[in-house]
Formats: sequence, C-alpha cells, structure tokens
Amino acid sequence: MDLDKLLEIGNQCIHLEPPTCVASCPVHMDILAFVSEIEKGDFAKAYKIMENKIPFSRLIGKICDHPCENTCVRKNLGGSIHISELEKTVIALGYVAPKKPFPLPKTKGNVAIIGGGLSGCVAAVELDKKGYKVSIYEKTNRLGGSLWAYEGKGLEKQAIEEELSTIENKGMKVFYNTEVSEENLHSYKEKYDALYLGTGVWSKAYDINPYSFQVEDSSLFVGGKLQTKNDSVIFSASSGKRVAVSIDRYINKTSMLASREREGIFETKLDFNTTHVMPLKRVEKTLQTYSENEAIEEASRCLKCQCNECINACVHMQRFSITPDSYIRSINHNERIILGTHHANAMINACTQCGLCKVVCPVGIGMKEIIHETRQSMVERGKMPVSAHDFALKDMQFSHSDYFSLVRKQPSKEASKDLFYYPVIAFSAYARGLYKGSGKTGYLFYPGCQLSSTHTEYIGDIYKHLVGAIKDKDADNDVGLYLGCCGAPADWAGRLDLMPESVEKIRKTWEEMEEPTFILACSSCAATFEKYLPMIKTISLWEVFEKYGLPEVDIKKGKRELCIHDACATRHDSKVHESIRSIVKTLGYSVEELEYSKEKAKCCGYGGLVACANPEQAKDFVEDRKHESEHDVLVYCAMCKDMLVKGEKRAYHILDLIYGQEQDQSSSQKMPTLSERQNNRKHLKQTLLKEIWKEETMSADETYTFTLRISDDVKELMEKRFILVGDIEKVIDNAIKNKERFFNPKTSDYLARLRLQNVTYWVKYEENGNEMTLKDAYSHRMEVVEH
Amino acid sequence: MKQEMDTTTLWMCDKCHEALVLQKVHVRYLEGSFEVELLKCPTCKMVFISDELAMGKMLEVEKGLEDK
Repeated sequence: MDLDKLLEIGNQCIHLEPPTCVASCPVHMDILAFVSEIEKGDFAKAYKIMENKIPFSRLIGKICDHPCENTCVRKNLGGSIHISELEKTVIALGYVAPKKPFPLPKTKGNVAIIGGGLSGCVAAVELDKKGYKVSIYEKTNRLGGSLWAYEGKGLEKQAIEEELSTIENKGMKVFYNTEVSEENLHSYKEKYDALYLGTGVWSKAYDINPYSFQVEDSSLFVGGKLQTKNDSVIFSASSGKRVAVSIDRYINKTSMLASREREGIFETKLDFNTTHVMPLKRVEKTLQTYSENEAIEEASRCLKCQCNECINACVHMQRFSITPDSYIRSINHNERIILGTHHANAMINACTQCGLCKVVCPVGIGMKEIIHETRQSMVERGKMPVSAHDFALKDMQFSHSDYFSLVRKQPSKEASKDLFYYPVIAFSAYARGLYKGSGKTGYLFYPGCQLSSTHTEYIGDIYKHLVGAIKDKDADNDVGLYLGCCGAPADWAGRLDLMPESVEKIRKTWEEMEEPTFILACSSCAATFEKYLPMIKTISLWEVFEKYGLPEVDIKKGKRELCIHDACATRHDSKVHESIRSIVKTLGYSVEELEYSKEKAKCCGYGGLVACANPEQAKDFVEDRKHESEHDVLVYCAMCKDMLVKGEKRAYHILDLIYGQEQDQSSSQKMPTLSERQNNRKHLKQTLLKEIWKEETMSADETYTFTLRISDDVKELMEKRFILVGDIEKVIDNAIKNKERFFNPKTSDYLARLRLQNVTYWVKYEENGNEMTLKDAYSHRMEVVEH
Repeated sequence: MKQEMDTTTLWMCDKCHEALVLQKVHVRYLEGSFEVELLKCPTCKMVFISDELAMGKMLEVEKGLEDK
C-alpha cells in the first residue's frame, strides 16, 4: 500500500479548509469559533478569540473595515453576517482587562521600530512577545498614529491611551519626538539586528518582497501603509504581524518564504454548498450596538461554513466522527505501527464500502477503494482480526460447497418430452420453452447466494419463467442455472487469496458453456462480476423482466406508495434503477423517491460485511434509512431486505411484489436465521434438481439420534453470536457419544463443548429422552489446552 | 488474562463423576499464550468455561490480541 500517495489524497480533503470570511480576513480571525461563542452567549470567550488574532482588539475590533463581510456566504441569503457589529458588542460585553504582563528576558535580538503608528505598534508587540528587545522611534509625542483619527468617531480617548500604554508597560523603549530619515537610517541599521519601517510616508520608495516585506536581503523591513498602499486598519495590522514573522525568521536565519502562501488574504478551496440553505434576514440593531440577544440571534444566522458533505451523508463517519483527512491519517498510522495496538482496525472494518462519500465529495475523495486496499494490506500483513469476517467467509465456503453449488444446462428436449402434450404445452410457456431447446446455453440464471437463502421459494419459478419468456422470443438460446457465490464476501474482507476459488470456477463454467450471458439477481454479484470477471456479459434479472415480460401476476392499479431503497452496489447502474421503477409502476404501485437514491443510494449496513464485523454500526445504517420515509420500503437486494426487516422497517423485495407476496400490513415480517439460510440453500439445490432436472439426490441433512428444542430467546442469542444449529448439533452429538460434558446435579442441565475449526462452541441443554432443550450457547476462539 | 470466575461450581464432570478443581490451565490465541486458573476435571482434565468468562474477559482478550 502506497501510504505517501494515500496521505496526499487525505491532504486534498477540504473538511478543515477555512470559510471565505476567514480567508478574506488579513489576520485570519477564527470567525466560526467567534460566532459560535456568541451564539452560546459566552461573550468573554468570543473576546478571547478576537484577541488571539487581532492585536489591540479592543480598538481594532471597533474600527475594522471588515473585508470578511463582503465574502460572507450568507450575503445573498438574507445578508452577510454582521461581524463588525458583533465585534463591537463582544468588546462591550466580553472585554476583560489583560493581566499584568510577566516580563520575560529579551535575549533574541534588538529590533528598532521606526514609526509608532498602528502597524509599528503591532509589529512591536508581536516581536516583544517573541522575545526581542524592541525600541520604537516616533516623530510625534504619542504612539498610535492614524488610530487617533478615530477619536470620538468610534474610539474613546481613554481606551486608546489605555491600550497603547501597554507597550511601555511591557518594557519596550519608546523614543518620542525622534524623527528618522533616509539620511540617518544607516546608523540605526548598524545599531540594530533588524529595522521595521512603518512611517506611512517615506522619502524613498523601496522595492520590497511581496511575501516577507524585506528590502532585498537586508535587515530592513517595510510595512504599514508603505506596503499596503491603502488606509485599511486591518490590512495595516496584518502587515505589522507579518513583518514580525519575517524579522524573527531573518534574525534566526531560517527560510524567509517557506509556508507563507496563506498569509494575508487567500483563496479558500471551500465552496460551501448552499442548496438547502433558506434565506434569513439580517438582524437589525435597535440601539447603537447589538444587544446581547440581538447579537446571539445574528450569530445564529451564521452557516458555520465547513465541508461536511460526506459525514452528513454517512453514519459510519458519524459514528467515528471522522472525515477523510483524519480518517486517512488514522489508516496511515495503523499501517505503519509495528508494536502496539492497531486502534483503527475496528473503524476500517465498519465501513460498508458503499461509495456514497465519493459521490457527495466536492473534490471526489472516496473511502471505498481506500478501505478495500487497507483491508487487503491488513490481510497480507497478517493483521486482519480473524473474528471480523470469519463467519461470513465460512458461509461463503458453504455456498461454494456441494451443498449449494450447482450448474445445469436447460433440461433437454429429450428429457422433458413427458411435458409436451396438450393441454400442458398450450398453457405452460415453460414447457414450450423446453420444447424449443437448442442445446446451446445462451443465458445462465445466477440468483446468488443471499437471494437463494432468503427468498428461496421464488428461484424455481423465476427459472421456469425465464425459460418460457426468453425461449419465446429467442429460440436459439437456452437458459441454464448456476447456483453459487460470486465471492463478494472475500472481496469485502480483503481476502484476495480467496477470490480465485469463486471467480475461476465461474470463468471456467462460462467458457465450457460457450460464453453465455449471466442473468444476475443480486447487485453485489453484478459489482463482483464487473470487477473480477469483466469478460462475462451480464444483465440484471430486472432488465430481463422488463425486456421479456414479467411472470404472470395479478396487476391492480392504484396500489399504495412505496419508497425505493436502491442497492448501493447499483449506484452507477442507471439501467437497473429504471427497470426497477418501471416494474414497480407496472405492478400498480406509486413511488416515493428518497433524497438518497440512485447514484446517492445509502447502504443498508450489510455492505463491506459490516453486519458481521460491527453489528452496532450496521444498525446505525438501518436506523438512518428507516426514518427517511413513513412509507414501506421497496428493495431489490436480498440483504437490504434482511437488514431493514431486522431493523423493524417493513420492506419488500421486488420479487415479493411480482409474486404477490406482499403481506398484509398487520402481520410482522420475519427473516430466516443464519442456520435457516444455509438449510434453504441446501434444500433449494435438492428441490430444483428434483423438480426441474428430475434428479434424485441423497438428503444432505445430517441425522442425529436427538431433536433440538430452541426457544426464541436462545435463537436470538445464537444469531447475535453467529452460532449455527449445525454447530450445536455437533457439540451435543459429541457430548452424548463421548460423555464429554459437565453435569449440574441441581438443575440437571448438561454443559458440553467442542472445538470446530478455530472456534470452541459451548452448549447448555436439558435432556428429556431424545429431546434436547437448549438453555444457552456461546463460543470462544481462544484455545484451552486440556491435559 | 486475569481470572474472573467462581472458584467453585456445582458443575461436575459427567464422564468421571468428579467435582471440578481449580488448577492452572494453559490458554493460547494468535501470538498470545497465558497460564490461568480455571476449573477442570482432575481426572480427564476437561476445562470448564462459563458464558460470562467466554463472552466477557476471554472475548476482550481475543479482540485485544487480534488488534496487536
């Protein structure tokens, strides 16, 4: 994993990019924080924030020419936030006299400030703070220069005097009535380590560096009006501050220009999205300044411009309160750490890899690919927590096994001839389809493992419908069937080592069958095929339904309204979105479009195996989704339905509508348990073989001498702990056969354990003849050495 | 791994009909390996792990080791 490249992507994130007001403030006051404190009513804290960036803020805050207001995003949405007025109120309500300064030794160098006007005073104070011995040469008998022009026009004499007196209180030396000129400047140059020229007017026009304000590479620096060439108070103050930085660097012999691109005003990369912002009129002051309440109200109009597009849309980022900038730094740290805890593991395994962040990001940063690459790297380095995806990967192995995996060509004409008689042939499109059998598999129906697990009853009907409908229009191409798993769980888990097992088998089958088009019913299969099997032509079952017709259904117009939860894996597949909507409308339902639909689809929480690795995070996704609409949800991914129904949101798979299985609204919905899902797959294979291919198979079910009784409570516990009925049976079977169990004489319960692969399962049960009643089930991965 | 369970129990070994005794047991997971005191059958050595221990402290230690 190229971590340097990754960090570069992180640096492109504009989450921390300042708002336009801060970028256009020459001293970069933290206006967001300032306004937020006012909103909270904490005027003292708001004043502290001003003081942080604005020198002599008690004065400048009242006379600042506020360039920030010109660029405010609210400008055309009710009027710019009245920052200048807010500053006045904050000074009135939050000003606290500074504590008596503690004199620090000034040992870093001697600096002369020529001109005790605003910029000179600012430069002096800043340099004093940095530890320089500062001397000010002022031609008049007082400091402040142009500040005095505001006396009685915004500033009071007493305030000006008090603020300026701090300079001498701090121990700086002021030489009043001392005029320095171009002619005697050299003598100051000899005496001081650096000079600051801030006199407003000067006899010689120096050529100054636009970033450092330095004259060539000399010890002379020019600021204030001589540099800004305007009368702006805040630009003058900024100039003084920037010169102080330059002089410090000059005396310390560090780079004069490094990392200074964003001093003064600059252009922010933030382009705040105002799509959902309603105009709100500026609060007018009733007296000379805003009252406390007026200020709070005005502050509350501030949009607090910050790019939060991804985190606003994603509950995963919300749970970890993280945006790509900090997320990527965490991944970088997690990847580089050698000794110690990998704290970001849990977060990395809680991303559904749905891709929504990239769609909403103004600069196009997507975490999906980054998370995928990170998980892959964790696996390769042996740092992926085993427990995170173990169950899902074992379940995938089950799908790969002979219990489920099945490939069949369309039943041949020869084998189906007992169907070719009247009236069957007249009424059954399926029989007619078989009759037209060509022997060439043009299509392979691939329902996928999850649909087969949870909507088992539809698979055979869909297959027969496909044979009938496709052969009717396209006699050359037979329709075969392929049960299996595409390998999406391995992809999500970063287990690229397991991908070939899934993908190679599919590719070989495809080649052997002379490259049929795969009909896919699962959006995750479609994504996996696109990524790992790009040579295979695929089409969604929904597009096939649209093209060749729906199974015969009872269509009544004027059915209710449903909201569509698009599958996140289809985000960029507009054909699927259109087919689904068209089918839903054909079936007589009306559609409510959610804000997050189609390319902005939100994940149900199953994606990226989050339901397995972090069930709490998965729940957040469902909660987020279920409150988006009052209507019941229509989905077309089996996992979406599973997640929503488990989250107690009524949801229908589009097949439920097609086959008229939309239950009445009073009965509760239920999804099969993890064990039932495996059994369903097993039985689906047997049923299809028997009913369609007339092949009798041995029952694949294990038989035991006992039966199990499992209460709903224990069932729920087993689901939460990812324990299968099959595991329980093995434990009890071993306990009975080998007497490997504990007995509790008081309750007459047994407690047995058995290690299956990398997990030890424990079962507490009561024995009543052949019936075992389960009391508890738990497991651990830790190995206990028994000897 | 600090032991957090009863030092006595009603459970007894069904095969050996023995009361369980507290003894040092070796447990291991990934790179971690510990000695802990657990209840076991003195004859067949089968070790008793309760739900609370498995889903509590043991799970915590497993997760800790997985993140190492």
